[in-house]
Amino acid sequence: MPRRKVRRTDRRPQRAKDLPDRRGSAHTDAFRCVGCRLDVPLSAPGTAHRNHCPHCLTSLHVDRRIPGDRDADCRGRMEAMGLSVRPDGEWMLIHHCLECGELSVNRIAGDDNPLALLRMAVRPLSDSRVPVRVLLTL
Amino acid sequence: MSTTNSSSSSNPSGFLRTETFTCVWCGLAVTALTPDGHRRNHCPSCLHSCHVLDQVDGGPSECQSRMTPISIAVLRNGDWMVIHRCVRCDELTANRAQVDDNQLILMRLAVRPLAQPPFPLEAFGAL
Ligand SMILES: [Zn+2]
Ligand SMILES: [Zn+2]
Ligand SMILES: [Zn+2]
Ligand SMILES: [Zn+2]
Repeated sequence: MPRRKVRRTDRRPQRAKDLPDRRGSAHTDAFRCVGCRLDVPLSAPGTAHRNHCPHCLTSLHVDRRIPGDRDADCRGRMEAMGLSVRPDGEWMLIHHCLECGELSVNRIAGDDNPLALLRMAVRPLSDSRVPVRVLLTL
Repeated sequence: MSTTNSSSSSNPSGFLRTETFTCVWCGLAVTALTPDGHRRNHCPSCLHSCHVLDQVDGGPSECQSRMTPISIAVLRNGDWMVIHRCVRCDELTANRAQVDDNQLILMRLAVRPLAQPPFPLEAFGAL
């Protein structure tokens, strides 16, 4: 894929910010999604190491080689571009950095928007150029 | 694509139509160019590739391991991309699907998520 520079009008980084802690728990961190501006709590039931917005699936380029290493200085916006299925059947989201072109693969989370995931899953099939005869032979 | 054999060395700078490579997975001898003149990065028969470029730092990669096709992604212009993952180092690449790529394998990759949904699809009705 050609690496292209996408000029962004909004360069505010998706930084963690502190929310008022009402329950005195450790669940105080949240980030604002660079895609839809939703305030997303970092932790949620059934969700470990959240790395994308559960509403619009957008992520931020902070990891370099290993998920969670936080070693990238790019901080570009990463859009979900596809889904893959692990051998154990789990869906994985493929993210693509609009700044530097890098790809990453991430587990879906328990509270990801099912409709957004499903739209991603049907995207190749909504292409009118897909030959129907190929579909029929599957 | 592990080995590159050129049937002629008279034109070192230009890309020869006769140049071929052998697929690291299925062993097929493949022309390096597609019928419409694009340079291949994966085998048109099994869609496997070889890790020859470093995606993070750019330039050639020393990995040279096999890359398996794991997903189909669609660009805004409708073009299909084949997402590959290296079996040794897990690096990812995206490359355009080519005109003579195996349509059955492309479709199988494309429908795989829908065949194994993490939630019941019936709840959605018409999309
Ligand atoms: Zn969002
Ligand atoms: Zn980036
Ligand atoms: Zn092959
Ligand atoms: Zn590799």
